[in-house]
Amino acid sequence: MGTPESTTSGRTLRARAAGLTDQPLTLLTVGVFWTWLVVRWTNDFLLDGALIERNTSFFPVGPFEAAASTLGALAASLGPVGFPVRWLAGFFEFLAASIPYLPQLATGVWATILLTVLGIALGFLIAVPLSVARVYGGSATRLLALGYTELFRGTPLLAQLFVLYFATPLTTIIRELPAVGAGFIPAQAFWVAVIAFMLNSAAYQSEYIRSALNSVPEGQLTAARAIGLSKVDGIRHVVLPQGLRYAIPGWSNELVYLIKYSSLASFITVRELFERTDAIASETYRYTELFVLAGLLYLALVISASLVMEYVEDRVAIPGLGTTSR
Amino acid sequence: MSDPLLELDDVYKSYGEEQVLSGVSFEMDAGDVDVVIGPSGSGKSTMLRCVNRLTEINGGDIYLDGDCITDADTDVNELRKQVGMVFQDFNLFAHLTALGNVTLGLRKVRGMDKATAQEQGYEHLEQVGLLDQADSYPAELSGGQKQRVGIARALAMDPKLLLFDEPTSALDPELVGEVVEVMRDLAAEGITMLVVSHEMGFARSAASDIIFLDDGQIVEHGPPEQLFQNPQAARTGEFLSRLETAHEEE
Ligand SMILES: Nc1ncnc2c1ncn2[C@@H]1O[C@H](COP(=O)(O)OP(=O)(O)O)[C@@H](O)[C@H]1O
Ligand SMILES: [Mg+2]
Repeated sequence: MGTPESTTSGRTLRARAAGLTDQPLTLLTVGVFWTWLVVRWTNDFLLDGALIERNTSFFPVGPFEAAASTLGALAASLGPVGFPVRWLAGFFEFLAASIPYLPQLATGVWATILLTVLGIALGFLIAVPLSVARVYGGSATRLLALGYTELFRGTPLLAQLFVLYFATPLTTIIRELPAVGAGFIPAQAFWVAVIAFMLNSAAYQSEYIRSALNSVPEGQLTAARAIGLSKVDGIRHVVLPQGLRYAIPGWSNELVYLIKYSSLASFITVRELFERTDAIASETYRYTELFVLAGLLYLALVISASLVMEYVEDRVAIPGLGTTSR
Repeated sequence: MSDPLLELDDVYKSYGEEQVLSGVSFEMDAGDVDVVIGPSGSGKSTMLRCVNRLTEINGGDIYLDGDCITDADTDVNELRKQVGMVFQDFNLFAHLTALGNVTLGLRKVRGMDKATAQEQGYEHLEQVGLLDQADSYPAELSGGQKQRVGIARALAMDPKLLLFDEPTSALDPELVGEVVEVMRDLAAEGITMLVVSHEMGFARSAASDIIFLDDGQIVEHGPPEQLFQNPQAARTGEFLSRLETAHEEE
């Protein structure tokens, strides 16, 4: 006290910890990835294949195959010392073999993104009242919120998906809704998965938000009450704006988890990235290429999410508040 | 004679077994500045918090401007609009600028639109000499500046009564002066203030009355000249001399 405290922005710390996300190469890769996705989706979903036929890759396979065979021949002629060239040839073989499947995987990525974003966003809307109930509720409300959280955190997500999909009339109800399954709007299984992820991630998100709310000093709500704000208004205008900022790093983890856990939706036939990969692989027996490719696509999604969250954290940063002060 | 602005009538407060206030009674008229002194743990903060009902009393009554505010049907939010509070550790809203701190109540409690609230907010910041820090966040302010924002925030609600709970005791000594100066200005403007503080300079020059609280009871209550020069109770004298020694040691 006495002199103004020096403050570092939240991002400086996070970038130092993360390292990966502020590399120019990362930004370039993520840029290429998203350009490809957006062009692909626009062509396939909106323009009805106007730029290039659906299921046809933007990238020709020929040059990669040529490179692979040239390098393969070179490696063979070099004999035992040719192994690095042989690896390079293998890389080009991988690219040549993967390219034809990219369009279908892009469709899977669309479903994965939609699934994750809807699940986390709708879950957030439940998580906020849930965590407020946990911290500020009466004993009954508190117990109810705790019960919900424990139920959804304590049982496997896959089981939750199965129960909602097979054991409730949800699937039938959603199937009857208009526009479900038409064009780029996914079919009913997808929406069941969204509901499952919403309910499940609400429980996890509420844990992050709850501990963030607990780290807002008690005096903040006292001061809010002292100027005549009701408890609810004090929580809304004073506690939550601070608590939610504290929650960003933990919440970002939940987002990253959900990107990967969304692959469980494949078990109830949702045609997301993992399901697409698996389906193509069992047709073509190109398991290695396809799952490496799917892994890279998930990685690109995770890095993109980290970049977005870093940007958000930076935008809402307030001197002396948030990641740096804890 | 009109009603006193604030009246505590035989107020009792306990936390479980512990009796914190044991029959506290006193009155203040509008424009009075009463300074409460007493040893740590004697119940000073509790007494203030009873007045704006951050703490509920167990017995007795409190009246503000003739209305009993400790009735069950009193709207506490309505009460708190009329009784401002300044905290020992400031409790500024950490996510808001100085201006945001001052205008939050105007907007969300008084329902003013943003422009009007800001206009008033600037006036109150000017009143505490912090117009130039309107856009600073609490973490960017010194302790003295924080507390002045805290005072501006309370003033903005245009309260009938301002409560101060040791407003300078968390401050570095060299920053106490700027806060005391603001409080003196407010006293001179005729704002009714109930101040827990051991700033003897302020007590001597600005107080209408001094209240000495010990062990949950008012031991002595009187104008500063009398209480400081000629304390009636032995305990008052002891406490004052201990206070003096403590000051000399600083
Ligand atoms: N919320 C509380 N719960 C339990 N005991 C409390 C609480 N607040 C204050 N007390 C007790 O009441 C007594 C008086 O406290 P306080 O009013 O803060 O004294 P002062 O401000 O004069 O130092 C202390 O013994 C303290 O431990
Ligand atoms: Mg105290």
